[in-house]
Amino acid sequence: MRQPRSGPGKRRGRGPRIPAATLRKQKAALANVDQITGAKIPKSFVFARGKLPSTLRHLQQDLRKVMLPYTALNLKEKKRNNLKDFVNVAGPLGVSHFLILSNPKSLPHLRFAKSPQGPTFTFQIEEYSLAADIANSQKRPRCPPGIFQNSPLVVLGGLTGLGNPFRSLVEYFQHMFPAVDPSTVKLATCQRILLLKHDKEKDVIEFRHYSIKLQPVGVSRRIRKLMQNNQVPDLGEYKDVSDFVTKAGYGSESEVDDEAAMVSLPSDVDKLNRASRKSAVRLQEIGPRMTMRLSKVEAGLCSGDVLYSWPVEKEVGKKGTETGEEVEEQEEDDNAEATDESEDEMEV
Amino acid sequence: MAAATQTLSAPPPAAAAAPNTGKRKRQPKGNKKKKKLVRSDQDDSFRRRRNKPSAKFLKLLRKRARDYNSDDEEEDDDDQRQEHPPNPRRRRDDGDDDEALSHSEPEEDEDEDGEDEEEGASSSAVTRFEQGCRAFRVAFLKIMAKKLPDNPLGPIMSAHKTLVAAKLAEEVEQHKPKGEARKEKRVAAEKGHVIPKDHLDSKEKELIKVATKGVVRLFNAVNKAQKPRKDLNPSRTKDAKVLEKERKNTFLTELGMPSHQDKKSKASSNLSKHTGKDEDEPAWAPLRDTYMLGSKLKDWDKMKDSSAASEQKKVPLSDSSDEE
Repeated sequence: MRQPRSGPGKRRGRGPRIPAATLRKQKAALANVDQITGAKIPKSFVFARGKLPSTLRHLQQDLRKVMLPYTALNLKEKKRNNLKDFVNVAGPLGVSHFLILSNPKSLPHLRFAKSPQGPTFTFQIEEYSLAADIANSQKRPRCPPGIFQNSPLVVLGGLTGLGNPFRSLVEYFQHMFPAVDPSTVKLATCQRILLLKHDKEKDVIEFRHYSIKLQPVGVSRRIRKLMQNNQVPDLGEYKDVSDFVTKAGYGSESEVDDEAAMVSLPSDVDKLNRASRKSAVRLQEIGPRMTMRLSKVEAGLCSGDVLYSWPVEKEVGKKGTETGEEVEEQEEDDNAEATDESEDEMEV
Repeated sequence: MAAATQTLSAPPPAAAAAPNTGKRKRQPKGNKKKKKLVRSDQDDSFRRRRNKPSAKFLKLLRKRARDYNSDDEEEDDDDQRQEHPPNPRRRRDDGDDDEALSHSEPEEDEDEDGEDEEEGASSSAVTRFEQGCRAFRVAFLKIMAKKLPDNPLGPIMSAHKTLVAAKLAEEVEQHKPKGEARKEKRVAAEKGHVIPKDHLDSKEKELIKVATKGVVRLFNAVNKAQKPRKDLNPSRTKDAKVLEKERKNTFLTELGMPSHQDKKSKASSNLSKHTGKDEDEPAWAPLRDTYMLGSKLKDWDKMKDSSAASEQKKVPLSDSSDEE
């Protein structure tokens, strides 16, 4: 009869007993924090408001894959879920970023938002292609599942040196994924890149998603394939083994190794890309591809003061956006005055 | 009384039996006989059906059918029918008689004619129905054998040919807008969706170039930050000493005691961006006072205004093409 009691007795001897709930909370908090840098790991939800047609649903899934690994790939939403539900769930789960797709009558919209307090950046998706479309257009699509195990790098182009909405946008995009620390990062984990480039002429932002492949420079295609495939090559057509090595093949040699894409690696990434030799960076698109136009910036989460609104479309498209945004129709009405003010500022 | 009801209600089973007379032949008759024994007043239509009708009978039927097609004959029939119902009493008697007759004679086909003549009125309810069946069959066969004009509407027997045509036209009219609406819906769902071209156009190439530049810059930064330790050979004592020192420095850095060497590497790291405000803070996150406390993005728009210029270059990934 005494034996069951020995367990608690031992625990008491060790020190103050921590309630299981507290332990669980601590564990959860630790999971949200990068162990080395101590920075909070940004996590994201990608979901839709309103009903989406099938192509946009595919786009949503593609966006989730872009946001991997710190996102809910199989997030299920119901019709009756409102934004508040997501915010309530996001808190305990440590989710900090929302990507909200919606399909108003004009054009599909994508909103980037910070979870509890905002800001919210609303984009019109002027054009988009799905990952499947991209893969179909390529002769040899490359998308190994391993590349989704690490978060992508973010490259922002042409967004610096612009006005205020873009400055906060840069800030947002930089914190959408865990920060990369050059002194500790392993290059083998950098396998994807997300490019957000601002097009000055059209005032749109191009969203591209590429996979990164490293290729050793100065190694013929045959040798490379031999190293990659681990298969005995067919030497039937050669008189000597040296022919296989020295004879120039076709294909790879035509690719011009421009100096701009060359890097020297600090450590061995894999069998082929050694630290001792130079490697070339090759990017291949994996999709999705989007052309977005920043149409509105709000201070809160899909609410609050309108800090920016695309000025050209303002007069014409105001009604359209109001009918299209099914979530915050009333709030938009409330904000109408604020929008007018901000527009005045713009014009001055 | 029972017989009268039988004659009146006889037609439905007869009609049911009519199509499969041939098959009935094969069936064992014992069952039927038993039935007959039980119900002696059963009408004779069953038995009549069992036997093959004679040529005479067929001829008669054909004649009847011919008559049936003409209108005045039908009128007559109707008159006759209207005559009969008022005197069911007599009819019942006839039915009884008929029953008796049929029981007495196993062969009935010869009897058909006589029966018709003798009690034409009485058995008319049954036989007329049969004739009607035949007539319908003949009429149907005639219609089926008819060569139809090649009509797009197909064979329509009714006189409402124009009505049907109008209805069909209306249906087509309705269907067409539905299809159009569906197409419109699909177009609306696909708006903005672009199938990319097979080849990379100049714009995409440009974008890839920008992205490549960014990746190369990051890799170079990583190389710069991680290289110093790598190009020394730890087997040589001199390099080993340097490495040892390096390791010590990094260790001290991690403990938060700033040494002189690592300031450079710190500047290029992302880490410095977060701790840039005060240098005294330890580099290793758990030692910092602010570890796991709140988000740094709280005043994201205010903080940015003041220190935007200084922070732009710190994240090596956020480089832009127009810096050059």
